[in-house]
Amino acid sequence: MAQLIQQLINGVSIGSVYALMAVGYSLVYSIMNFSNFAHGGVIMVGSYLGFYLLKAAKLPFPTALAGAALGAALLAVIVERIAYRPLRTRSAPFLYFIISAMGASMFIENFVVATIGPTFKTYPAVFSRMPFEIGPLYVGRIDVLIFVTAAVCLIGLVYFIDRTKLGKAVQATSFNQRAASLMGVNTGLVVTLVFAIGGLLAGVAGVLFGMKYTVYPQMGGITIKSFIAAVFGGLGSLPGAVIGSLLLGVIETMVSGYFSSNYRDLISFTLLIAVLVFRPIGLMGKVTEEKA
Amino acid sequence: MLEVKDLNVFYGGIHALRDVCLKVERGEIVTIIGANGAGKSTLLNAISGVVKPRSGKILLDGQPVAATPHGVVKQGICQVPEGRLVFANLSVYDNLMMGAYLRSDKTSIIADLQRVYALFPRLSERQGQMAGTLSGGEQQMLTMGRGLMSSPRIMLLDEPSLGLAPLLVETIYQVIAEIRRAGTTILLVEQNAYKALAVADRAYVLEHGIVTQEGPARELLHDPRIRQAYLGVKQGQTRVG
Repeated sequence: MAQLIQQLINGVSIGSVYALMAVGYSLVYSIMNFSNFAHGGVIMVGSYLGFYLLKAAKLPFPTALAGAALGAALLAVIVERIAYRPLRTRSAPFLYFIISAMGASMFIENFVVATIGPTFKTYPAVFSRMPFEIGPLYVGRIDVLIFVTAAVCLIGLVYFIDRTKLGKAVQATSFNQRAASLMGVNTGLVVTLVFAIGGLLAGVAGVLFGMKYTVYPQMGGITIKSFIAAVFGGLGSLPGAVIGSLLLGVIETMVSGYFSSNYRDLISFTLLIAVLVFRPIGLMGKVTEEKA
Repeated sequence: MLEVKDLNVFYGGIHALRDVCLKVERGEIVTIIGANGAGKSTLLNAISGVVKPRSGKILLDGQPVAATPHGVVKQGICQVPEGRLVFANLSVYDNLMMGAYLRSDKTSIIADLQRVYALFPRLSERQGQMAGTLSGGEQQMLTMGRGLMSSPRIMLLDEPSLGLAPLLVETIYQVIAEIRRAGTTILLVEQNAYKALAVADRAYVLEHGIVTQEGPARELLHDPRIRQAYLGVKQGQTRVG
């Protein structure tokens, strides 16, 4: 029983990092209807930024986290400007966006390999590695930090989307861009905003992930997991992305804990295919209820 | 007030609007009638900045209108799009407030909300409901109410009667007359030529992107050619209804 709860805690910890990444995917998907594969690169750059702000600039952790998040947001906006906006203004087919996204992703990754180098880097110890002991359970301080930070970010995001005028404009734009623009919404600005928010959360996720594991140029590849989570929960749905991420995190740690970590990714991808076959809209996918 | 001069719009290789000229004076209801695909919606979308014209001018009070859709709304030109384009994922209330997106004057927004609810009591009853669950007629009311919430000087209405039951068409047209009485100028695009000509002051006939006829709506209503082409009335017959 204790082991099960222990795995559950680990699963929720990694799941909440996936959630931070997955909502970025989902937000962009809900507005632009394509999967932004450059998101992984933004997470990786955010992770490096956090690393250097802590290690080289010796900034306190909250400042370094904020700096990494802002830097990642800026990168996400630049990617949108260079790789997607020209396609958007010409209403290019969906496939072009995917190809452009892959190009941007490879560019960012190789740029980091060429300038910083391919080696793994370890975050300086910001917090004690000693876990909290609660009865028979061990809860890592980093896991608590990850969970709390992710929860604060996600609650903030939901508040913004559901309770503010700009958030409603994001929802309106995601439903129909032309109709939103006819209401006076500057849809170009909404797109920029969505990339900035996705980037902000990606930066936070990058720092948290880097602290728990390590930093390396290919770490953006783990976003494929958050992509699975986003599809699992239903692309375009924020609650779906969060629930899908937590589920994926828990399933992965259970598989690693009870079977073997060799099976972990196998199970994740089997799950992805099963969802796509049996319930393509995901657990909470956008169902547009339109009446004739 | 609104003037369109020698407007040309292309969709790929298709010449959708050819040298279209049109004028709407303050306080008027002007209608554009024409068959499906004549270019009526394209004309409204060009005015709204959604479609970029190849050449020609669109002037509001003698000044060129903004090039972006949100800029056009800011100038007081509001389009109520065809096909009940409501935000199905938002509540009725949120849809209406999206109409007031560019306004910040709280008291007058609330006054306009009350006015919309008075015009369409159904919307008031359903303000908390998701817009996607409304019936077709209610969605049409919602798009019109949402348009009014921008407090427009001129409203562009695209096929407001499309696919609605006769009784609802009647209601919608009463509201259109009501909106004009309250001081908003209206440019109305319709396939339902009979209804449109009955409510409008002046009318333009658009055929294959060309304005083929224009004049006072009452005259066009009795024009034998118009009656035959758009009202489905043979010469010598009188329309009942």
